[in-house]
Parts: sequence; structure tokens; C-alpha cells
Amino acid sequence: MMHLIPVFFVFIPIIASLIVYLFKSKLSTYVIILAQLLLAILYGIYLIDFSETMSMPLVIFGGWNELFAISFYNDTLSLTFVGLAIFMWTMLIFYTFKTNQDEHKFLFFFMFLEGVFLGLLQTNDLFNLFVFLEVMTVLITILIAYRKSGPSFRAGIYYLLLNTIGAMFFLIGIIMIYYVYGTINIQFLIQNMDLHQQEGLIKLAYIMMLSGISIKAAFFPLFTWLPMAHGVAQTSISGLLSGLVVKGALYMFIRVNLQMFSQTDYNTHEIFFYIGVLTALVGVTFALTQKDLKQILAYHTVSQIGIMMMGLSSVANLSYIGGFFHILNHALFKTLLFLCAGVIIHAYHTKKVYEIRGVFKTMPWISILLIIGMLSISGAPLFNGFVSKTLIKYDFKNDPFKMIIFTLINIGTVTSFIKFSQILFGHKVQIEKNKDTLQIVSMSIIGILCVVIGLFYIPIGSFIFGTDLSYVTFKDPRQWIDYIIYVMAGLLLYRHVIMRDYVPLQIIRESRLTFEHANYVFILYMVVLSLFIFMR
Amino acid sequence: MNPILSFIVILVGVYGLATSKNIIKSVFCVTIIEAGTILLFLNFGAFEGGAIPILGAIGVDIVDPLPQALMITTIVIGSTITSLALMLCIKIFHHYGSIEWKEVLKGGDES
Repeated sequence: MMHLIPVFFVFIPIIASLIVYLFKSKLSTYVIILAQLLLAILYGIYLIDFSETMSMPLVIFGGWNELFAISFYNDTLSLTFVGLAIFMWTMLIFYTFKTNQDEHKFLFFFMFLEGVFLGLLQTNDLFNLFVFLEVMTVLITILIAYRKSGPSFRAGIYYLLLNTIGAMFFLIGIIMIYYVYGTINIQFLIQNMDLHQQEGLIKLAYIMMLSGISIKAAFFPLFTWLPMAHGVAQTSISGLLSGLVVKGALYMFIRVNLQMFSQTDYNTHEIFFYIGVLTALVGVTFALTQKDLKQILAYHTVSQIGIMMMGLSSVANLSYIGGFFHILNHALFKTLLFLCAGVIIHAYHTKKVYEIRGVFKTMPWISILLIIGMLSISGAPLFNGFVSKTLIKYDFKNDPFKMIIFTLINIGTVTSFIKFSQILFGHKVQIEKNKDTLQIVSMSIIGILCVVIGLFYIPIGSFIFGTDLSYVTFKDPRQWIDYIIYVMAGLLLYRHVIMRDYVPLQIIRESRLTFEHANYVFILYMVVLSLFIFMR
Repeated sequence: MNPILSFIVILVGVYGLATSKNIIKSVFCVTIIEAGTILLFLNFGAFEGGAIPILGAIGVDIVDPLPQALMITTIVIGSTITSLALMLCIKIFHHYGSIEWKEVLKGGDES
């Protein structure tokens, strides 16, 4: 029984979702909370077992040969993601439970997505990775379009078609891998990647798979679906997509690029580092021009993905851990920001950042949580964003060019959140009182966790990564001076450029990539990647 | 059958995606890419004169069964995606009165 726990991770949420959908009564919705409790307990048991004996990480279905059977495999990487996913889903269910308790279809898709996502994280088989990816795409499309408004439908179809194309190219890559090795078992491939004769086909497979993942993970030229989809969905869905589901693609990036193809000598670290830089810079630039609360946050997801890429693609181990740590931290603070923004939008009935004023006097506790989120994302000392950003900087502390780029990204982030924080000032406004305590509790837990990770990162780092993170210290006055300089520069930039709303800013805000151009860009991206890999 | 042929099918789909300005055409281009992918994979496992990989075919050379099993799954996923996309097309037509990407993507997010 014990070794089947990874299977339960997938099936408990799916069975709970089916119960909700079939019985359609108020009582049956509490099954979801029961399922989350069960998942948390099972996860605890599995984690203790895993850390004590390090045994049975592999579950094979049907008793077939290990090379051909469908199997689940868990290591520290996937277990960290699984824990994060269970935690975030629990919090989001608390957040959305009261508002959506009668929406049985919504809860069905929401819980089904959890099962599929946990399957994606644990599978040990490239084709199943593709299947989970596609099922996830379908479910997310339905959840995006769930509001049944025009923008949500168009965001849904844009998301669906673009991500399906990405997944199809991923599949073509898998086919080539199968043709060369005769197996699609990930662990086998990680160990035996250099046992082949057909260098050209493997290179082609690498390009296809990586460009598929790049669409899913919203790297630089291919991120256009993300702000569209994350901006129009319901608040809990936006938080889920930005905080967690995008990280599913980054998980695939780690598995495929950094583990499976680690023995190959394509040296793509550098190109993915610069793709990360471009993603971060472009994301910040777009975020600076937006006027819509949710669009600002969605573009910041793009830029933070770029920062994670910069960490993950660095050669130094500490930077890699920084990138990985930033994935976890970003899940916390971005979800917190989205949830706070959702409460504010619900109370003020508008999404315009220049129309909302006086949030601090109207909703003090929400504002404190919002400030925690903003300080975390901009990397203030004592908060969790600071820890991971400092770790990412480790690799290029001696490289002035990379340092300047990182500083620019940071100043952009700070400026954008100075603009965002303008909603806090102003006089009290008469609004409807929020009576949903469960909502506040879930947001508070996430907010407190942000601060706790920012303060006690050393024990957490040695627990998750087994590494000493004492390189980071918030007692160093230079870090504080740096942050204060960022804020000063941000204030200047905000006063003199962003607030004036010059014509170039308006052009950036209005620009939108149509679908056929997004495909052109995708083809170009693949061509550039192939040139880089074949021509060196 | 030559794998080049399936690559040509895939390229036709990609060309269609990069040029078609209509949502329904884009949906069908995705379907074409998928058909090309399925052809490609079946091709890799098959050879001339191979028997069907079902029970009872003992003693004869059977084709590789794994690609066929995997491609059935892909066909199922593909039909799901096509139907979902066409449903969204209908809804978009009701809301915007058009299924041209240019018309649909115009305007802000206010509903």
C-alpha cells in the first residue's frame, strides 16, 4: 500500500472531483476539503518514508518490463513541486470555497486539474508527460473561459491553439527520441543519453522538445498567451495559473534540458540565459505600461520567469538553487498578489489602477498582505524574494554586464510596484464589507509564509536543497542600501516617465501579437535555436 | 512510406498557421499538424509486410505495437482539442460577430 502513494496523489483529487460533479449537493463539496486533508497526510507519510529509507521512488504499473511500462518516479525535485502544489491548491480552495460552492462544474475542473498536475510532476515516461500536458491544456482552457465573457473566450482559444502547437512539437521530439533509443523512460534516458549514433536526429529532437516547452513556459517571444489568459480568468484561476501551473513547464525544462540532455555538449546554458534576460526585460517593460491591475501582475509573471531562467541556466550551483528557490517563492507571493488584487477588484468593481484609491484606509489587513507581496516580489531584505534573487546574483557577481541587466530588471520591478502601490493612498471609500473569513485566513497564511521564508531561509534551504544558504545575509548594510537606491530610482522613473504616459508607452500598451504572427515568431524561435545548435 | 511525406504534411500545417487569418482555419491547421505527427510515428514503427500487433499473430513478424498504442491516445486527445476549439469558435462568433483573428483580438479586456 505504502509504495502506491504517488498513485493516490493523482487519483484522490480526481475521485473527489467526480463525487462533487455527480452528487451536486452542498454536502458533497466538503469532500474536496477532505481530499486535501488526505493528500496532506499522505504527503507527510511519503516524505518521512522517502527521507528515511530513500527506497521505492519508482512505481511501475502492470508489472511490465521497467523500460516499457508506465511508471511514476519521485525524487527531491518532483516531491518539492508536489508539496507546493498540494499546499497552493488547499489555500486556493479555501479562498474560492465560499464564492464557488454552488458552481459544481467549476469545482470539478479545479480538482481534476490538481490530479493531472500531480501526475505531470511524477510521471517517468515522456509520452505520459505529453498526455498530462494536453489534458492540462484542455482543463485550463475551460477554466479560463469559465467566466463566459467575450475576452475570456478569445483568451481561451488563443491559449488552447498556441499551447497545442507547442505540445505537438514536443510530441515530434518524443517520436525521434523513441526512434533512436527504443524507449521513452525518462530515468533510462537521463543515464544513457550518450548511447546513440544519430547525432543529427537527437539534435532535432532537442530543438523540437525545447521549443514546445518554451511555449508552455512563456519564454521571450512566445509569452503573448500568458497575459491574455491570466488577465481575464477568475481571481483564483489567475493565481493558480501564474503561481503554479506555469511552473509545471519550468519543471519540464529542468527535467528535459538540465537532466535528460545534461550529458550532451550543446552548451545551451548561455542561450537560455539570454532568453531569460530578454524575457525578464520585455516582461518588465510591458508591465510598466499597463493600467489594469491583473495585466500588471500577469506581465510580472513573465518577467519573473525570466529571472528564474537566469538562475536555472547559470553554471554555478548556488545560482541554480536560487532559480529553483525563486520558483517556490514566486508561487507564494504572486498568488498572494493576485488574491489581494481579486479582493480589491471585487470591492471596487473596477480593474483600473488609476481609479482605485484609498485601499489602505478601507481594507487595512488586505493592504498589509498586499505590501508583503510587493516587498517580496521587488526583493526587499527580510522577505522571501530577496533570498532567491541574491542567490541568482551569485553567478554573475564578477560580471558587470550581467549585473547591470539584473539591476535594470530590479529597478523596473520596483517602479512597476510603486505604480501599483498608488492604490493604497487616498481617502476612505464606502464599500461592501467582506464577510468571507476563510478567504482572509488563506491569504494570511500565504503572507505569513512569505515572511517566515525570508527570515528562516537557512534551515529551509538545508531541508529542501541540502545546501548551506548562509551566503545570503540580510544583516549586510550594502543590501539595504542597494534596495533603497532601487526604490529611489524607481520613484524618479515613476514620477517623470511612467506617470506622464508618453506616446511610446501607449504604443507598447496597445500592441498585440495576432495569432498568425505568434506562429511566425514561433518558427523564427525554432530557426534561431537550430542555427545555434547546428552551426557551432 | 517515406517519413519525408509526414514532414511535408506537418510543414503544410505550420504554413497554414502562419498565414491563415481565420480562427477555424487555424483550428484545422492544428489538426493537420497532428495528422502529420501521427503518420510520422506510425511510420517509424512499421515496415513492409509486417503483421498487425494483436494476439494470435505468433510466428510472423509484427510491427512495433507501442507507436500504435500511443497514437490512439494522441488521436483521442486531438479530437477533444478540436471539439473544444470549435465550441469556443461558436461562442466567439456570438460575442464578436466574426471569426477573424484581427476582429476578435481588437479592443480591451472589458466585457
